[in-house]
Amino acid sequence: MSQPSPSPFVASQLAAALPQSGVAWLDAARRENLDAFVAAGLPDARTEAWKYTALRALAQRSYAAGDAQARAVDPAALALPGVAGPRLVFVNGVYRADLSRADALPAGVSLQPLARALRTEAEPLRFALARRYREDGDAFARLNAALAADGAVLRVAPGAAPAQPVHLVFVGAPAEGDVAWHVRNVVELGEGAALTLVEHHLASGAQAHFATLAADFVLRDGARLRQLTVQDAAEGATLVRHTGLQLGARAAARLHVLELGGSLVRHDLRALLAGDGARLDTRGVFALRGRQHADTQMAIRHQARGTASDSVWRGVADQRARGVFRGAIVVAPGADGSDAALSNKNLLLSAQAEIDTKPELEIYADEVKAAHGATVGQLDERALFYLRSRGIPQAQARAMLTVAFCEAVLADLDLPALREHLAALLAARLPGGAA
Amino acid sequence: MIPDNGDSTATALRGNAEVAEALGRRYAAGFVTDIETDSLPPGLSEDVIRQLSARKGEPAWMTEWRLAAYRHWLTMPAPHWAKLDIGPIDFQAISYYASPKNRPKSLEEVDPKLLETYDKLGVPLHERARLAGVAVDAVFDSVSVGTTFRKELADAGVIFCSMSEAIREYPELVRQYLGSVVPPGDNYFAALNSAVFSDGSFVFIPRGVRCPMELSTYFRINAGHTGQFERTLIVAEEGAYVSYLEGCTAPMRDENQLHAAVVELVALEKAQIKYSTVQNWYPGDEEGRGGIYNFVTKRGDCRGDDSKISWTQVETGSAITWKYPSCVLRGDRSVGEFYSVALTHHRQQADTGTKMIHLGKGTKSKIVSKGISAGRSSNSYRGLVKVEKGAEGARNYTQCDSLLIGKQCGAHTFPYMEVKNPSAIVEHEATTSKISDDQLFYCRSRGIGEEDAVSMIVDGFCKQVFRELPMEFAVEAKKLLEISLEGAVG
Repeated sequence: MSQPSPSPFVASQLAAALPQSGVAWLDAARRENLDAFVAAGLPDARTEAWKYTALRALAQRSYAAGDAQARAVDPAALALPGVAGPRLVFVNGVYRADLSRADALPAGVSLQPLARALRTEAEPLRFALARRYREDGDAFARLNAALAADGAVLRVAPGAAPAQPVHLVFVGAPAEGDVAWHVRNVVELGEGAALTLVEHHLASGAQAHFATLAADFVLRDGARLRQLTVQDAAEGATLVRHTGLQLGARAAARLHVLELGGSLVRHDLRALLAGDGARLDTRGVFALRGRQHADTQMAIRHQARGTASDSVWRGVADQRARGVFRGAIVVAPGADGSDAALSNKNLLLSAQAEIDTKPELEIYADEVKAAHGATVGQLDERALFYLRSRGIPQAQARAMLTVAFCEAVLADLDLPALREHLAALLAARLPGGAA
Repeated sequence: MIPDNGDSTATALRGNAEVAEALGRRYAAGFVTDIETDSLPPGLSEDVIRQLSARKGEPAWMTEWRLAAYRHWLTMPAPHWAKLDIGPIDFQAISYYASPKNRPKSLEEVDPKLLETYDKLGVPLHERARLAGVAVDAVFDSVSVGTTFRKELADAGVIFCSMSEAIREYPELVRQYLGSVVPPGDNYFAALNSAVFSDGSFVFIPRGVRCPMELSTYFRINAGHTGQFERTLIVAEEGAYVSYLEGCTAPMRDENQLHAAVVELVALEKAQIKYSTVQNWYPGDEEGRGGIYNFVTKRGDCRGDDSKISWTQVETGSAITWKYPSCVLRGDRSVGEFYSVALTHHRQQADTGTKMIHLGKGTKSKIVSKGISAGRSSNSYRGLVKVEKGAEGARNYTQCDSLLIGKQCGAHTFPYMEVKNPSAIVEHEATTSKISDDQLFYCRSRGIGEEDAVSMIVDGFCKQVFRELPMEFAVEAKKLLEISLEGAVG
């Protein structure tokens, strides 16, 4: 399996020097993860986790390591309605104090760039950052662990509940060539803490960068997280995200994920319901067109008693796009009283588009309720007929139904201004939409 | 009875004891018939294959076909993707040929001991076969020993014989279709089978003929250390119809016996093939020792327009079951169906499901899979529904339900859906749960004993599949499930 010589992609990633933190355990972990990345190379279709996402084209591309210049970005473009709290902004992976808003933090909230946190107190980050990634398909997790020098470190003190959402913004800005950048977030909510977090990917102009983002969330007992991801990267961009969640007893997380932009987008979402009574709700949608390829790999592990998960995912693929979804639910031995549900529905709108979906259940306990459903199909002809019989033209009727199909995932987002904005953003991406 | 205080823990504990007792029951079909067999010594090489082919009196092309498959097999790695824990298999320790001596010319000449064996198993071989209207091509170890109803079938133009005979008598037909659905190099175990297949059934239903009776083969593994490599080929020409029944039991053995069968179905225009299986091979003891390794490649090709292939299976035996009866829906408007009940207990492992490959326009498929896990077993459904670009208006519906009985078993579902045509509709639903306490309580409050209640609930759970089985099989399947599961509630 070892490759005779590294692909142009791997070679270009090796060209950069490893970031030096001066923290021995971190530098060792970075070196080991890089070695593991180089040794294994990029996974191919024989690796189950990459069965439907080919990396052959990516392997032939090379990217400059990071961006040395501070690119001009219009601060107004970063704004989201109803999101007015603390904000950290990274442009091409580089922290930008001038665009961020991290002074006057609410009580109980600590938010700083990773590079700074490593200089002041690295030890609390050891658990997250010293990790070695051993699974077959973990190439990009290794790459990120090796090369990510910055990111956001966010902590909410026990019992604290900041009123405003925290806004983490990742901007891809045009540079002289294609750039690779890697960002690492570490988020911890103390016991009983509550937080709303917006992870926001956008582009300030056309480019075809390569980016990875790895984020770890730890929710202590009784903590509550509301997390929203708006992925609106540049049309040519490649973006690989790893999200890891660990929920303590009675902790609850509600995730909303909108995949709109990017050329090749991959998201690995792994959640561990570690404490009794933990609850996870996930809602996600991809709206793809052109030659976009989006691949979401979600794995939820019910490890403790009385845990619950509910997942609703929608996908729309038009033109030559390809959407991939895997939703795996594992109920571990002894996780009695677990309740897991997953629904994945997809609309295939073009003869050149493709949808591949794989809902999985692995159940090792008997006192459980687990169900999943998945469909791939078209708009309901009867619903279309109904609208047309009311005098609504075909194209408009289709657009209305497609929007309604996708908006199911936004229905329970209880931030009205933001929900409205996102619904409009989504509608614009769908056939018949403005953009 | 329910304890007065309604303490569910007490009920559960008592239930557990009953379960342990009922589940500890010995394998009822476990006995060895003492018949001399004429076997090749264990081992696998080109020489062994040549000898095997020579003993069967096969033509040169068949020998070459086997050797080509063997050479290809040597280049293949053993697959590891299934959710199965398989010990290493020593292919050199297996004898690839065993046939009863004194080959009988007709049923009357069949060794009475053999018939006795069938009697114990309740095989409808002769009188019962006549009464039930079933023709039987019984495979005892590797060579067919008795074939009934040949004449009646011949009058209808139906060919129903052993594969060895077909190779001798109908070489053109065999050459035309053998390996056309499952190519010799299709997968590791299919390649092995192609190299060493011992015998099996050949069925040919000519154009426009509705086979006058249900055809049935009882496979039975008998000689120790003998791998069984059945090869079955069923061809239904334009407008033909056949229903084929396959059932298996095996005597108790200590060592793992490898079984790698290949079944190929070909349905031409407007033809229909219904293939039903009840599989009850020795599953190994409570600790998983012994038991059959059942690695099967079954595939049907709906080659003609408006053809239909339907698989129904009840899998209760084998230490390891690894099979995915599939349909390639090539013809326009062709239909594929898969109905399955898979039950695992003790240390049994099953990774089974189906593949529906939609190629033609207006093709339809339906999948109903019921998995029941008990003891420390592992039971997985793995399925693929693939809609290719040309499959305009393709339709699939899949339903997978799993029932868990006990805290140490696992039930898993791995459905793959790949859709490339925007007019296709593919739907998948799956649930996993244990036997509902409410249902049990309801039955018991009506004076129905715990074992009967469980049996009723499981029967209801499987009903959708059972009603697809021919009647004789449905009765047997129900009985098998009862034997395996009586009182299994914790």
